[in-house]
Amino acid sequence: MSDTTVKMRDIAKDLLDKGTVHYIIGWEKGRFSNQSPPAFITSAAHADRLIWDEYCLASTAKYLLDDKFPAGKIGIFARGCDARAINRLIQDGQINRENIYIVGICCSGMKDPATGNTADKCQHCTHPNPIVYDILIGDPVPETDKPERFKAIEELEKLSPDEKHAYWSKQFEKCIRCYACRNVCPACNCRECFVDQYRVGWQGKQNNLAENQLFGLTRAYHIADRCIECGECARACPMDLPLMELNRKLIKDINQLFGPYEASLDTETTPPLAKYHLKDLEEFM
Amino acid sequence: MKTIAKSRINEALAILAKESKLLVPMKVNGISKYAPWGSEGTIQFEEVNTLLPPKDTLFPHTEKMYSYKIANQEITELNIHDDSAPQILFGVRPCDMQSIKCMDDVFLTKSYVDDFYKNKREKLITICIGCTKTAPTCFCDSMGVDPSRHEAADVQMYDLGDSYGIEAQTEAGQTVVNKLQELMEDQAGDPTAVSCTLKVDASGIPAKLSTMFEHPIWKEISRKCIGCGTCTYLCPTCYCFDMETTNNGNEGYRFRCWDSCMFSEYSRMAGGHNPRPSKNERIRNRFLHKLEFFNERYGKNLCVGCGRCIAKCPVNVDITLFIDKLKEVAADEPV
Repeated sequence: MSDTTVKMRDIAKDLLDKGTVHYIIGWEKGRFSNQSPPAFITSAAHADRLIWDEYCLASTAKYLLDDKFPAGKIGIFARGCDARAINRLIQDGQINRENIYIVGICCSGMKDPATGNTADKCQHCTHPNPIVYDILIGDPVPETDKPERFKAIEELEKLSPDEKHAYWSKQFEKCIRCYACRNVCPACNCRECFVDQYRVGWQGKQNNLAENQLFGLTRAYHIADRCIECGECARACPMDLPLMELNRKLIKDINQLFGPYEASLDTETTPPLAKYHLKDLEEFM
Repeated sequence: MKTIAKSRINEALAILAKESKLLVPMKVNGISKYAPWGSEGTIQFEEVNTLLPPKDTLFPHTEKMYSYKIANQEITELNIHDDSAPQILFGVRPCDMQSIKCMDDVFLTKSYVDDFYKNKREKLITICIGCTKTAPTCFCDSMGVDPSRHEAADVQMYDLGDSYGIEAQTEAGQTVVNKLQELMEDQAGDPTAVSCTLKVDASGIPAKLSTMFEHPIWKEISRKCIGCGTCTYLCPTCYCFDMETTNNGNEGYRFRCWDSCMFSEYSRMAGGHNPRPSKNERIRNRFLHKLEFFNERYGKNLCVGCGRCIAKCPVNVDITLFIDKLKEVAADEPV
């Protein structure tokens, strides 16, 4: 058992025993050794279910939306990506910082359960250490900018418009519209998603390329300057759509148009598309 | 046993494809599914079940039902769509064959016969292949399915190493097998028996569940569910659908498309009330449908043990762990 697991369990026991939190969100082992799904620990007696290993892939933060007005503080284990997701939810006015107790974990990346290699979502991680926490487990992991994460986008940009269309059509033909990408995404926190506004009818229910692309593109645009690059959408997609390529293209464009920006590093900086400056480029006008 | 050498399987497929649309397990665009033989992709006969189940062969993800034209508030044209055509589903696995039996129950029995399904089903020939290996997530033999064969298939094939053993099980199946006579040899062959490594004890579950509607277990197991439709859309037996109309001026069409009981909209009523307001009630409905309601109505589980939901759930909600847990808890006691 790893040191981190031992510390996690000790901290969880302590927080639950003292009543600091009334439950804590972490990870536990699933049926198979390459599964460590999210776990909700409600009493110190169950704290030994908690685990920290290389398969803790799922984000913990999104579950905070299930309990927006908690009876007491919610404890949550958070890595860099989870912490940015928490910032996202706070900045979007979904949760209150006072309602959560964050146990930060410095993370050196997870493995893909199918291959055992570094998970795609972790390969381009720029913030493995939690940005916000109440207490921290582990020593900070070195952080780098990872400009190479835009390499795939640069390759896609070289394609002609027809080639780009063909590439994305081929991807979205596969989409089954299970909405797993939306449901794991911390930036997808609208009280009612446009997809579910059935009386307005933005999103038709047919499964075809047009409807699939409408969904994918609308979602990408809606999270453009709020995407925290956690990669959960692409991980959750059962059809292996390269959704982070879409998100990173928008992030790359935003960086070029409005200056370097990484979403949710704090809860104060207004996302670039949510503010207006007279100096903003207006090339399209 | 009649056999066809694996080296001659393409000749057999060419014969089958002459008169019918022939669907075979293929990897297309990175996704394994049943696709027309000869289309772009790689044939996958040696794998376990496909990622996408074969259910859209009979029950398409989106299906046009009828189209209409209107003039002066009168219907001037009404066409009921029937895109059924002879199809052969080649290399379907026993779990997926069982799922077709479940869908037959739903669409063809107990008072209402669904013509859209019936027309396709009557023109479908199923050629099942017994599994000689299993994935870690396979548990069909715990759900009453024999991984080596399925009695409901028109033709049953067995993987004998260098050849396939072939047995017709229905009249329609015999007709298909007759077409392949020139390729067949007589050969002694003993199909390898295979057993799933993942086992659950599903005995007594329907009766136990019938008393557990308000049990705290639902809250516990649904907590990590993210409410997406991956499990329902990859499930070979989830057959729920929605019907809607696309209207453009004076013409339009009505279609049906897969729906998912995991979505809030699925159970939302006119006026906005939702009897299944949270994932707690939705997961409960899905698992009760799979393991209790369907049993009560049709005498079989609606879970065939294919393992797709276990393999692809983003947060590892696992129906086999749920069944294990059910065994541990008392029906009338808090968890």
